[in-house]
Amino acid sequence: MDFALSTYYPIFLFLLVVVGFAVSALVATHLLGPSRRTPVKQMPYESGMDPIGDARQHFDVKFYLIAILFLVFDVELLFLYPWAAMYPWASGPGEPSSYLPGEFQSLVFWEVLVFLLSVVVAYIYAWRRGVFRWR
Amino acid sequence: MNPNLVTALTGYLPYLVPEMLLGAAACVLFLGGTWRANRHLWGGVALVSLAMAALALSFNPLPHYESASVADASRYASPVMLDRLALLLRGVSLAGGLLLVLLCWDSMPENRAAEYHACLLLMVAGMGLCAAANELVTLFLALELTSIPTYLILYLGKSSTPNDGLDAAGQEAAMKYFLLSIFSSALTLFGFSYLYGMAGTTNLPGLADAFRRASDLSAATEPTVPSPLMGMGMVALVMVVAGLGFRLTAVPFHFYAPDVYQGTTTANAAVLAFVPKVAGFAALVRVLGFVLPNLSHEVFTATLSRPILREQLPILLWIVAAVTMTLGNLLGLLQDNLRRLLAYSSVAHAGYMLIGLAAAPRLLDAFDAPVDGVDAVFFYLVTYGAMTLGAFGVLQYLSSSGQKAETVDDLAGLSKTRPGLALIMVLFLFSLIGIPFTAGFMGKFLLFAGALDVPPSQETTFWPPDQRTLFVGLALLAALNAAIGGWYYLRIAAVMYLRDPSPLAAAAEGKRSWPTLAAVGLCGALTLGIGINPDPLKRAVQSAVPRLTDMVSVSAVEH
Repeated sequence: MDFALSTYYPIFLFLLVVVGFAVSALVATHLLGPSRRTPVKQMPYESGMDPIGDARQHFDVKFYLIAILFLVFDVELLFLYPWAAMYPWASGPGEPSSYLPGEFQSLVFWEVLVFLLSVVVAYIYAWRRGVFRWR
Repeated sequence: MNPNLVTALTGYLPYLVPEMLLGAAACVLFLGGTWRANRHLWGGVALVSLAMAALALSFNPLPHYESASVADASRYASPVMLDRLALLLRGVSLAGGLLLVLLCWDSMPENRAAEYHACLLLMVAGMGLCAAANELVTLFLALELTSIPTYLILYLGKSSTPNDGLDAAGQEAAMKYFLLSIFSSALTLFGFSYLYGMAGTTNLPGLADAFRRASDLSAATEPTVPSPLMGMGMVALVMVVAGLGFRLTAVPFHFYAPDVYQGTTTANAAVLAFVPKVAGFAALVRVLGFVLPNLSHEVFTATLSRPILREQLPILLWIVAAVTMTLGNLLGLLQDNLRRLLAYSSVAHAGYMLIGLAAAPRLLDAFDAPVDGVDAVFFYLVTYGAMTLGAFGVLQYLSSSGQKAETVDDLAGLSKTRPGLALIMVLFLFSLIGIPFTAGFMGKFLLFAGALDVPPSQETTFWPPDQRTLFVGLALLAALNAAIGGWYYLRIAAVMYLRDPSPLAAAAEGKRSWPTLAAVGLCGALTLGIGINPDPLKRAVQSAVPRLTDMVSVSAVEH
């Protein structure tokens, strides 16, 4: 297979944009943002938690429910990527092609919709049981 | 794409409508329970959905393949195997689900009833899929579908309001079961990964073929040295047996059972005594390859005649069976708590059932044997379900109607306060012992007959000893165990009939739980019915498990 550098141009462009965005955001906040050096602002940032002390501290159990719900949607996303990638795309002037044989396309489509429905059921259940009420 | 393959990969879906219905009904229950808290409404919905699933199963029981090539493609590519064994066990799990829904009707708090019944329906679907699994992946998912709802019901069964937690024993039970169950799932999965790594397929008939090819190869090149595949295969199978042994409560994986049964409610203990056993035995029989339907005689014997399944595995199962039933019965003698006692009883019964699995590969030689081991296991599974659920049902009925039923002494004088209930409890106890004219007798008879029919080894060596001697010894040990078990079952009967009721028990006259009573009545009818006329069930299990003798006659007709 021939090596053509031009195929990699989009990736180089992407890298350039990523690095440029990160650098420019840092520089811009440094130059433009007001700088008030209070003791709290000088502390290392640890997502709002006190960074000094015992590692074993009580943690609100409410976060557990949020974590579980996050996992539900995380796993859902994991299944949706291959599902989306399976579908036909235009491979050029000829026929659209797909990794999935035509016989299974409607079956797989509906199966994933049923899966999505079951996740929605879990979401509504959590909602109705007051998981989001943050009591 | 090959049309046979398409049929194999999609054609099974209409046959899984019962399980889909159960899953949909579980979703309705989970959501509906957040709007209405009413045990009678949601219990009724669960019963109706079980009936609809049974109807769907009866409309579409067995697939009909147009040609041998379609059947072959289904065997090697379909994730489920819709043979007669799957049909039998799916029917058994639906019937067991019906009994469990009735039995658990009043056991949980009102606001948890919908979720509880939804979990029961998911377990029933899981048991059915376990019996129909044709793939290691399907099998694992089905096993998880039975065990994850079990963790939930251990939490749902006891607390009465959302903020009121479990007591310490209930928490211990739920946590212990959860941690040990995921540990056993991991063991099973580890064994499965070895099987997949060695054979390159997760398809069960494909695995059997891979083992056969490997042993043929090693026999051709170096007859005395077993191939590395077979050596690793033994490691994998030991891990699978260990992981599934947890679900069967086989010793040494039984130790959680007494604590969990004691810590949780009676109804939850009934679920734990039935559901994991059915799923575990179905999975064990599928993985160990005792049931590979539509196989020709040649392939069938070739699969099992190789060293791994023929020599080592029966010895492993022999040891596990002997230790399980002996330890279960001996420790049962020491118990005063009724649920703990029934937990050890369920351990002992798992040991009896393992006799059938241990004897099954050996019985392939015995063409005139009346049973072939595996059918005896499933016969016993049905009778065990009826009598154990019945015994738990009596205890659940007592506790839901306000009488304490925790220790053996709590049942003192039950024959005077509730004569009918005491009589039916005695029926279940007699059946658990295995007294004639109860279901337990016929079940034990078939299992022991299997062990006694094992033919002698062709060549006699010092080690391993003659297989006939080994299995006759196992049958004798089992008979001795049945006698030991008789002591603690009869002790309950003696306390019920010979002691005077405590004033507390006589005073307790709470509300009657009719659904639980109905479950007890159904279990009693089954226990007595199978005991008096075992032939319908015997025919059902024998037609479900393809016997070698039948296959030989079929192939003789074909040629």
